[in-house]
Amino acid sequence: MVQVLSRHELAIEREDDVVIVRRKVRTLAHDRGLDSFATAGITTAASELARNVFAHARRGSAAIEELTDGPRNGLRLTFRDDGPGIADLERALAGGYSTARSLGLGLSGSRRLVDEFQIESVVGRGTVVVVTKWTRF
Amino acid sequence: MTQINYMNRLRLDERELASRRAFFEITDEDLARLATLRAFGERHSTEIVDALYDLILGHPESRTFFTDERAVARVKKMQQQYFIGLFGGRLDLAYVEDRLRVGAAHERIGLAPKWYIGAYSRYLRLLHDRMFAEMSPADASAAFLSIKKLVAFDMALAIDTYNAANMDTVARHQAAIRELSTPVIRVHHRVLLLPLVGTVDSHRAEQIMETLLLKVVDEQARAVIVDIAGVAVVDTQVADHLLKTTEAVRLLGAETILTGISAQIARTIVQLGVDISTMHTRARLADGIELALGIVGRVIVAKEA
Amino acid sequence: MARGSIPILRVANNLLVTVQTELHDAIAEAFQEDLLAAIEKTGAAGLLIDVTGIEIVDSYVARVLADTAKMARLMGTETVIVGIRPEVAATLVRMGYTMSGVRTALNVDEGLALLPRR
Repeated sequence: MVQVLSRHELAIEREDDVVIVRRKVRTLAHDRGLDSFATAGITTAASELARNVFAHARRGSAAIEELTDGPRNGLRLTFRDDGPGIADLERALAGGYSTARSLGLGLSGSRRLVDEFQIESVVGRGTVVVVTKWTRF
Repeated sequence: MTQINYMNRLRLDERELASRRAFFEITDEDLARLATLRAFGERHSTEIVDALYDLILGHPESRTFFTDERAVARVKKMQQQYFIGLFGGRLDLAYVEDRLRVGAAHERIGLAPKWYIGAYSRYLRLLHDRMFAEMSPADASAAFLSIKKLVAFDMALAIDTYNAANMDTVARHQAAIRELSTPVIRVHHRVLLLPLVGTVDSHRAEQIMETLLLKVVDEQARAVIVDIAGVAVVDTQVADHLLKTTEAVRLLGAETILTGISAQIARTIVQLGVDISTMHTRARLADGIELALGIVGRVIVAKEA
Repeated sequence: MARGSIPILRVANNLLVTVQTELHDAIAEAFQEDLLAAIEKTGAAGLLIDVTGIEIVDSYVARVLADTAKMARLMGTETVIVGIRPEVAATLVRMGYTMSGVRTALNVDEGLALLPRR
């Protein structure tokens, strides 16, 4: 049974915030006991997703939750923004967009780095991406 | 064997302590009451601990944990300290740390929860009898209730310790299995060989890549031979894993040579349309080794007769 | 060097730059500009980028590195990236981001051996 041990909310409003999100995720991933590869994976995914928020919506937030589920530990990240939303979600997830500094590989790449990936996007309203990484057990 | 830091593992900070205290309903009153009974505790500690060990040593299965006299004497001493600690009147992180140490000691000798819960149960009966023998029913009742709460709190800690240690053991075993299933061999200075045997699913492929990459850096390997003769099934997924691993090894600055490509595998790969033309490939391991040696500037020559 | 936060060294006819920290956005752009300016100024035959100090490489950083190599090549300079960490390599290939156009080596010595001697 998944339990949330803690929750940290960070704003993404300036370019520097991407770095702050990355550092926080890295620290918490390490605390949760994720090995160096898993930590690199979730931190890179966080960097991609935070960057997306900043690049497209300019404003948004990242919520980081420390999880535990019986023997395994995990980290769940939720990225929200009130940006323009993604029109063609399937194409974006396939890595279809490739304009510089835009979605590019960010979304599809992040998906391959995490264990769970959920996305909801409404054009004109915004996007929510939730990713989770667990310790290997 | 490294000691687990149980305080960290169980996230036992002030917040968690307060949460447990509240849930176990341990009030300051309870602690104060027990503190006033310290003399009572000291008076009865020896006989209660003796009675406790009579139970443990009297039972065939539990007896096996305490084989020699000195071990028993040592443990009884620890147990007495534990017992008196119940009347310490404080429930802070230092108290918790002490209790965790007891749990850790039990776990180390492999004493399962059923034994120490049974022991706690006897503790309570022994205390109950003496309390009601020496105090007024009202006082004894109140005292017993307080001690029950504290013992329950301690039991939870002991069980938590046991669980944490168990999970740690499993994790260690998992790591060992991972190591064994990715046996990377150093065949020459800066040349590594990884013979793959069995099935390679996504999970194993990930482990293989990670172990290999770490070894490449460790050994500063310039050539890695991956022999797939023993791989049960080579399909598009496996081929993809091999390609990814090869690219990752390349990023580190080393080259990969795939060997053990049988006629069957060669046929499968081409028919599947997988492009592994960017990889060095050989049918025989020996040829792969020669190629790898060439990469590090070595050549095999015949000895003069 | 304008915003030179990352020092660029000359080794024979090559340039060597060691990245000690994470290459986030503003620093990454300055990094690229400084390198290209140095190539233009020195006409170096080779460029060695040591990324041993980088723990996280996302697609942005990967692109900056790959683009820098491409730009350097246009100016006649060969680039070799050395010291990519196992975790970084694994993450890049998992993301599907191949830095296929970029040459790599285990360390500075190996990298220098790959560069042309003019």
